[in-house]
Amino acid sequence: MTTACPDCLDAESMRAQRGLSRRGFLGGLAAAGAVGAAAPLISTQMAFAADPNYAGDTVVVISFRGGFDGLSAIVPAGDPSYAASRPSIRIPTNRLLSYDGMFGLHPAMAPLQSYWEAGTFGAVHAVGQPDPTRSHFEAMEEMERAAPGSSLRTGWLDRALGLRGTGSVFQAAQLGWSLPSSAFNGPAPELALGRVDDFTLWAADDNDPVKAEANVARWAAALSTLMNGAPTTMAAPTASALGAITTTMSMKRTGYTPSGGAVYDTESDLAMSLRDIARLIKQNVGLQVAAIDYGDWDMHQNLGGVDSGWMFDKLTEVSAAFDAFAKDLGPKFADVTLVTMSEFGRRIDENGSGGVDHGHGNAMLVMGGGVNGGTVRGNWPGLAENNRDDGGDLRGDNDYRVVLAEILRKRCGQGSLSTVFPGLPSGDLGLVKTRPTS
Amino acid sequence: MLAGAAVIAVATGAGSTIGAPQAQALTLRQRRLRRATVQPRDWRTLLLRRAAWGPSPSALADVASKGSIAGWIDWQLNPAAVSDAEGAQVDALYPEMAWSITQARAGIQEFSWDLMVMTAQYQVARAAWSRRQLYEVMVDFWHNHLHVAVPSDGLWDNSHDYDRMVIRKHALGKFSDMLSASAKHPSMLYYLNNASSTKYAPNENYGRELLELHTVGVDGGYTEEMMFDAARLMTGWTVNGDTGLAIYKTNIHWTGPINILGWSNANSSTDGRPAVESLLLYLARHPKTAERIATRLVQRFVSDAPSPALVARLATTYLANDTDIRPVIRQLFLSREFAASYERKVKRPMEDVISTIRILGHTPKATGTLDERRKGVRALYWQMQDLRQAPLDWPQPNGYPDTAIAWQSADGALGRWNNHQSLAAGWWPNSSIINVPTPQSLLPAVLPTTAGALVDALSRRLFNGLLRADHRAGVLTFMGKSASSTLSANDQWLKWRLAELVALLLDSPAHTLR
Repeated sequence: MTTACPDCLDAESMRAQRGLSRRGFLGGLAAAGAVGAAAPLISTQMAFAADPNYAGDTVVVISFRGGFDGLSAIVPAGDPSYAASRPSIRIPTNRLLSYDGMFGLHPAMAPLQSYWEAGTFGAVHAVGQPDPTRSHFEAMEEMERAAPGSSLRTGWLDRALGLRGTGSVFQAAQLGWSLPSSAFNGPAPELALGRVDDFTLWAADDNDPVKAEANVARWAAALSTLMNGAPTTMAAPTASALGAITTTMSMKRTGYTPSGGAVYDTESDLAMSLRDIARLIKQNVGLQVAAIDYGDWDMHQNLGGVDSGWMFDKLTEVSAAFDAFAKDLGPKFADVTLVTMSEFGRRIDENGSGGVDHGHGNAMLVMGGGVNGGTVRGNWPGLAENNRDDGGDLRGDNDYRVVLAEILRKRCGQGSLSTVFPGLPSGDLGLVKTRPTS
Repeated sequence: MLAGAAVIAVATGAGSTIGAPQAQALTLRQRRLRRATVQPRDWRTLLLRRAAWGPSPSALADVASKGSIAGWIDWQLNPAAVSDAEGAQVDALYPEMAWSITQARAGIQEFSWDLMVMTAQYQVARAAWSRRQLYEVMVDFWHNHLHVAVPSDGLWDNSHDYDRMVIRKHALGKFSDMLSASAKHPSMLYYLNNASSTKYAPNENYGRELLELHTVGVDGGYTEEMMFDAARLMTGWTVNGDTGLAIYKTNIHWTGPINILGWSNANSSTDGRPAVESLLLYLARHPKTAERIATRLVQRFVSDAPSPALVARLATTYLANDTDIRPVIRQLFLSREFAASYERKVKRPMEDVISTIRILGHTPKATGTLDERRKGVRALYWQMQDLRQAPLDWPQPNGYPDTAIAWQSADGALGRWNNHQSLAAGWWPNSSIINVPTPQSLLPAVLPTTAGALVDALSRRLFNGLLRADHRAGVLTFMGKSASSTLSANDQWLKWRLAELVALLLDSPAHTLR
């Protein structure tokens, strides 16, 4: 039995930046557990073959919570109204990457330029919801429910998973240190995993893997019994946790070395969550959908400039993380589609605080082996005064559900899209290639 | 479908008597009774799981001495009358919490995080040990309603002052007073950007959340133009960067007529302060605000799905008492909906950690330097951080969610199990930084002589009742015992494995439901 964490005191001093060192306590445990890393793999417990009923991509959904300013990332510098709308935060045309006369990438996205040029990274702009609101919370819930005008209470990922039948316990996973996305709301189970290396039952851990397994089995039997009659909000996560734990504890013992020269920033929750996703994909545990929450985009003030500041730092972190993920996946990159979403975009005009207030139309970023990237897709309404929504917003001409539906249809072989997205408008942006049937 | 299958598999795999088909044959009342994890149902436990941070032995004695819910609530509603040596000990542990903003700026290094983190840790200690439990629960409620994320930019010198002068000062007072204090406090002015809002370019962040979160709610009937108006009216209130104090600048105040939900003002003076006060009072007294606050109270204290009838009654009381929260709370805890809500809520991580140490009996170290004595609390704070609910730390302005579904997660479950083990065994925080009761201290003076008697004795001590039969049987199987297996005084389950048994019991719904 592991005696936990003899000195976890320094966690606080590590917390130089918000959210970064919250894993300090468990980090100490992980180091202690590394003693057992050379223990033999228990292969029988790793036999989560990919679901034979599912032959689609692993879709990675990244929620840019807080209202991502798509106009700062995929910059419409060729639009005649752009420069005047954003006097202090605009990106000069000559600093943009892969500028095509209308759009270019923020210079902080340099690590992703080669993917853009190779066509495995792309974007849809002027994306919106049918019933826009400037409330973060309402907009997020509505976006993840994705059933405007209906009384459905489930989320779109839950409905998509529900149509696929029973998968492995790893079928759908939320990684990182946020609460699970409400897109998972509903009966299909999801596995909120935090970090693979922390997904350990301390009371059952043992450097001897045989003993650890026996301990886990004894605890699992007892915990399962205690869930008799418990509400689903307790019983379902218990079942998920117990179903995954032997595999994660074994993966932790084995350890992980990323491939392809990938370097993940250990201080970035986004990067480390993507690292775990790559690891689970390569482990063939049957991962179909992975979700990550990556917030802190609510830039009402001090958005920053070309070479520094809040937006620059965020895009730098995003770009490095995506790049590492793609490198690490290697050939598996062909079987992955990553997509970002955010509850709304920001106002076209900057405000008096060097920031941008809540707006509407936004950009979605899409990356993966099956992406038709290298360009900005979707109808572009422009930034001109008379084309703005609600006085000052980029119009949301391209329904975000059309983007997601195209990915599900072409990359996941998902039929019944009207169940996933009731009232789905027709549309095909040509954003991804149809996945070849294997 | 999948979750249903998983749950049923769990239930039947363990030889449950409650499979899904049978459950359907039962009446609602029967199902409720079957679902109760501890028998008999104990109103004192229910009260202390909701109106307090959990039933410690001494809190149970307090409730017993007051004799009824009304007796205890009335006593607690006047916190000054509740003698509180334990709370005073916590205050002595954090003398910085009494600092003014000016003292704070002289007392710590500029932009240091120390005071912010300390403010959050102070909440942990007060919640765990103050005898003024209803007050502490309401402090947490209001912190989440008028939420300012701590730590955040701009709060290094003022978050403790927001806690004391806005939340704690009015937690059992009038909401109109609290709202007014919050609007002009440097913490809120920075957090929702009113500090940088000017007549030239009003920043909408505060104006929007004032309406959407703090008062009438997103369906409160206001328009975007009304939201703009709220932002315009608030221009002028900002923070003096040299002193850290709130100030009013007439030269950045937007002037012109303002119309918000039936309230209007010519707002022609560059001093908009009287108009701001008038608007805040109007919003605090608005029926939609009453409904919103009543809904949040019911969600917090009764059910994830608030009863509209109870919400309506509480909203009426709120308005009839000019936003005084005390009669509203009293009415809530005396309602039949509350009495019928046994085990209807699931503890969130902060409630789980604090109730666990209250039940087990951890106490702060009484000797050593201040820093040494705070280490135990600091460790608890980091445990909550790992479970994703450190006090005040929710990154968005709407406060932590208060429904079980929002917290439902596999690693949340796993994290709780690990934490129960760690606390029960004294792994962390350990006895070098906090007084950790031995697991043996949970046993009666006369030791149980059978395994069944041991489980029962622990259940009484931890849950004030006996576990339902199938759960009890599962625990005995875990021990490799039958109920009648005899235990010698030196049995491993009374000695080195007792903490493991306590941890398992704390993992049960008997502890996790509240």
